[in-house]
Amino acid sequence: MENRDACHVLVIGSGGAGIRAAIEASTVGETIIVSKTITGKGGCTVMAEGGYNAVLTSEDSVAAHYEDTIKGGAFLNDPALVEILAREAPDRIRDLFAWGAVFDLTCEDKFAQRSFGGQQIPRTCYAGDHTGHEIVMTLLEKLRGSPVEIRDELTVVDLLKDRNVVFGAIVCNREGELGTITADAVVLATGGAGQIYDMTTNSTAGTGDGYALGYRAGAELIDMEQVQFHPTGVVYPYDTRGRLITEAMRGEGGILLNTKGERFMEKYDPSRMELSTRDVIARSIATEILEGRGTEHGGVWLDVTHLPKEQIEIRLPLMLRQFLQFGIDIRTQPMEVTPTAHHFMGGLRITLETQTTLSHLFAAGEVTGGVHGGNRLGGNALADTQVFGFRAGRAAAAVESVAKRKMDTVQIDATEEKISRLYEGQATSAKIRRLMKQIMWNNVGIYRNEFDLKVAERDIAKLRAMPLVISSPREISDAFITENMLLVASLVIDGALLRRESRGAHTRIDIKASWTNETSPFGHTFFSKTRSGIEILEGRL
Amino acid sequence: MIVRISRFDPDKDAVPHVETYDVHVASGAHVLNVLDMVRDKFDPTLGYRCCCRAGQCGSCAIRVNGKPVLACTEEARDGDLIESLELPSIQDLITDVTQVVAQIAWLNPRAASLSCGCGVTHETIEEIKPLRECIECYSCVSSCPAYAVSEYAVPTVMRQEQRLNLDPRDVDDRIGEAIARGLFACTSCHKCVEVCPKKIDIPRKAVEKLRIEAAKRGLSLPAHMELARLVEETGRSIERKSTSFLEYVPDVIEPEGEVRATIGFFVGCMFNGRVNQSALDAIEVFRKNGIRVLIPKDQVCCGSPLIRTGLSNFVPELMQRNIAAFVNAGVDTVFTMCAGCGSTLKKDYDTPFRVADITEYLCEVGFVPPTKIAGTYTYHDPCHLLRGQGISKQPRELLRSFVEKFVDMPAHCCGAGGGVKSGFPDEAASIGAVRAEMVAATGADFIVTICPFCEYHLRRVTGLPVKNIATLMLEGYLK
Repeated sequence: MENRDACHVLVIGSGGAGIRAAIEASTVGETIIVSKTITGKGGCTVMAEGGYNAVLTSEDSVAAHYEDTIKGGAFLNDPALVEILAREAPDRIRDLFAWGAVFDLTCEDKFAQRSFGGQQIPRTCYAGDHTGHEIVMTLLEKLRGSPVEIRDELTVVDLLKDRNVVFGAIVCNREGELGTITADAVVLATGGAGQIYDMTTNSTAGTGDGYALGYRAGAELIDMEQVQFHPTGVVYPYDTRGRLITEAMRGEGGILLNTKGERFMEKYDPSRMELSTRDVIARSIATEILEGRGTEHGGVWLDVTHLPKEQIEIRLPLMLRQFLQFGIDIRTQPMEVTPTAHHFMGGLRITLETQTTLSHLFAAGEVTGGVHGGNRLGGNALADTQVFGFRAGRAAAAVESVAKRKMDTVQIDATEEKISRLYEGQATSAKIRRLMKQIMWNNVGIYRNEFDLKVAERDIAKLRAMPLVISSPREISDAFITENMLLVASLVIDGALLRRESRGAHTRIDIKASWTNETSPFGHTFFSKTRSGIEILEGRL
Repeated sequence: MIVRISRFDPDKDAVPHVETYDVHVASGAHVLNVLDMVRDKFDPTLGYRCCCRAGQCGSCAIRVNGKPVLACTEEARDGDLIESLELPSIQDLITDVTQVVAQIAWLNPRAASLSCGCGVTHETIEEIKPLRECIECYSCVSSCPAYAVSEYAVPTVMRQEQRLNLDPRDVDDRIGEAIARGLFACTSCHKCVEVCPKKIDIPRKAVEKLRIEAAKRGLSLPAHMELARLVEETGRSIERKSTSFLEYVPDVIEPEGEVRATIGFFVGCMFNGRVNQSALDAIEVFRKNGIRVLIPKDQVCCGSPLIRTGLSNFVPELMQRNIAAFVNAGVDTVFTMCAGCGSTLKKDYDTPFRVADITEYLCEVGFVPPTKIAGTYTYHDPCHLLRGQGISKQPRELLRSFVEKFVDMPAHCCGAGGGVKSGFPDEAASIGAVRAEMVAATGADFIVTICPFCEYHLRRVTGLPVKNIATLMLEGYLK
């Protein structure tokens, strides 16, 4: 193997959290950022539309942001992580602004803020309806001016480990050549895994590699059953199904209607209506559709036609243009929407310093669990990437440099051995993924029950047992990613079976519980190679 | 659906080759869905990039039937030819963009700005916004005629220079940097705007603005400054060598027969001072079609050469004089036969009268078909007519009505615009050479166009006779 590299900090993933971590780490030591796409393009940050939550006015408070987040998260969040999120989000958005971010400002030249679901006061900063794109462009400018070494289109196959210490990664390039990058510390910032579902807002790169890399290396994950279904995804044309329609649509005043013309949120959450939390709205829409009040394409109506045309043109230009492409003018016509797999609240268990349960392995952003509990508030994900990306970069850089570790040839030999077996496999990645996406969508969606979950468990296990096949080295990365996706799918199912209650985004229709989110005796579900289960809060039993 | 995909394997192929695939996709499927299908059903090694699948990340830019598009937002059609962008090829549809990325400037934040508002206002933000939507798909790079033959550092690099120039948080000198990266090499052909998925108007919102800043610092090209001096002194961008058109034509030219309509004639410097005959021919064409032509004598240069080169101090006065001239003449429609003048009057002016290109007007009011003319003709779209005014059908309609054989030719800048011909003649010649090859491929004996700058330049680079459309029409009428 010829491609060997070494650095102080290796960052895996190039969305908002990864780039932020790399920028921070590079102020201390040599840093490499690895992306399986072109840096900045692959993560979901660049696609984020609505905004970034930060407490910036005297009417708002860190305590209020904390309270909204915990409440929205069904009290499953790690309180200390939430505290950090609320406290540091303002500083991190100020960093972005100092680095050139083009956020919308009010006429008084202050950050403009709008309402998102589950907020007591408008707290969501934005750049039109392409806030994530703006953040990534700002971060890219900063990154290009930093000493960080950028490695594009390199897939991480596995983490390198020496006993319990992570010290780098095995990588695979576009041509299928293996290589290694050793590092004193590694940051995982690989985002979520919406791609395990048939309908998702996620980019093609949202395959949950970090969950799988961490798990295989021995790290512990939590709450993997908590998959947020964004209430408003595109219904058709068929090939665009699942694409995100921003929450800003509702933030700006959009309303939801069923085919009888009823504003149905009156039934489910009369006080918050369309600005209820995402879990509640997604379930409400799903119920309307299940009970026969959905459109012929299987959606409900999201309507902004009552808003001034100018407001739509200025605040939602991207959405306006996107729908015009499909022949729908949202200024005069309603949109058809349906819930779509969006955000993984679960992930690697981290400390306040973003340390995972493995030494020298840090994590930030959607790949982690605990910050958002059972349901993430709109606008908290972008804040999460910056707050914890910064912390991960700083903490990883603080790891002491060690003398050169000895390369574990066993790990590399095993990878090469695995690759050689791929040429004799049976099932293509394309086929396995198609089947997996259907299983997950049909059996592990918004409404869950034990029977469907068991079926899914069996069927995913069958897929995992099928040997994957490739015909050329260029397909190696794809095969490894397919394996990652199957592993993540099985963790989601495990969690959904373990959590015998409805909590946050996870709804078990076969179980009636006598407790509320706040009094539930259950804590996190947890998964590692050595143990899995659900935490019982003794005091509440 | 049948699609053709340009394949290239660096290990096996010297040059790309096209393969044909028969795929089944749902209605409304995008090109990206077709590529997915080809990869999943026929060849898992098909190389292409994609990420967000929603037109936001810019990964999947490719060419479909020669035109740069995002695969995820372009609807797939039967028979599509799918190729990579015109950048160094890596494999199949994957291209090497590292050289381009390396030229995109980054903001150098002032140290103090970490704690203060750094002077960024609501207005600053609104001004930068249109330049900020770039998703770095590099479609503009693939299509830029200047980038292909010169040191021009591509449209999106200029966009970024102006974005930084506008930002008080940035401390670096972006004007010097933009000049070093080829600021004056843009021909203002607007091809980059046409192919941009976000329709960012880089020539107007970045290149011209940066050139204005350069002018303020005295950094304009000498040839451009000379031109600006001439306009300020004489009201014209062409030196007077003999009697000009305006000096010997009457103010009003009556048509043959009944008067169907009256129109003002905005002559433009080239037709006034250098190629008078074409302008005289145009008047004759209008006479044959029953249209009275009014020619106010106090009209001056439209200001286009100044606006394109950033030396626009004198432009407000030119605008005032021109608008007054035609308002006093009492016309409600003014025609141009210079693509640059027409585009400038339509886009940079706010005129109380309508401005129409000669072909646009003739097709609208109807024209007497000229007698058939022998020979094979092709038409060169002037950039300032095609993209500046959105006119491409009318000239073709006219030509098809009376030339013996018309061979169509795809549009491509000839290299004469944006002050490039005077500033960088070598670059203009190189772009012209590309255009000459395209002309040769049509097998035409004559080129027809509606821009005196294109006409002049094409004659030189192709060696073929280049005719103004009015001249050719008149030939038909006189037969």
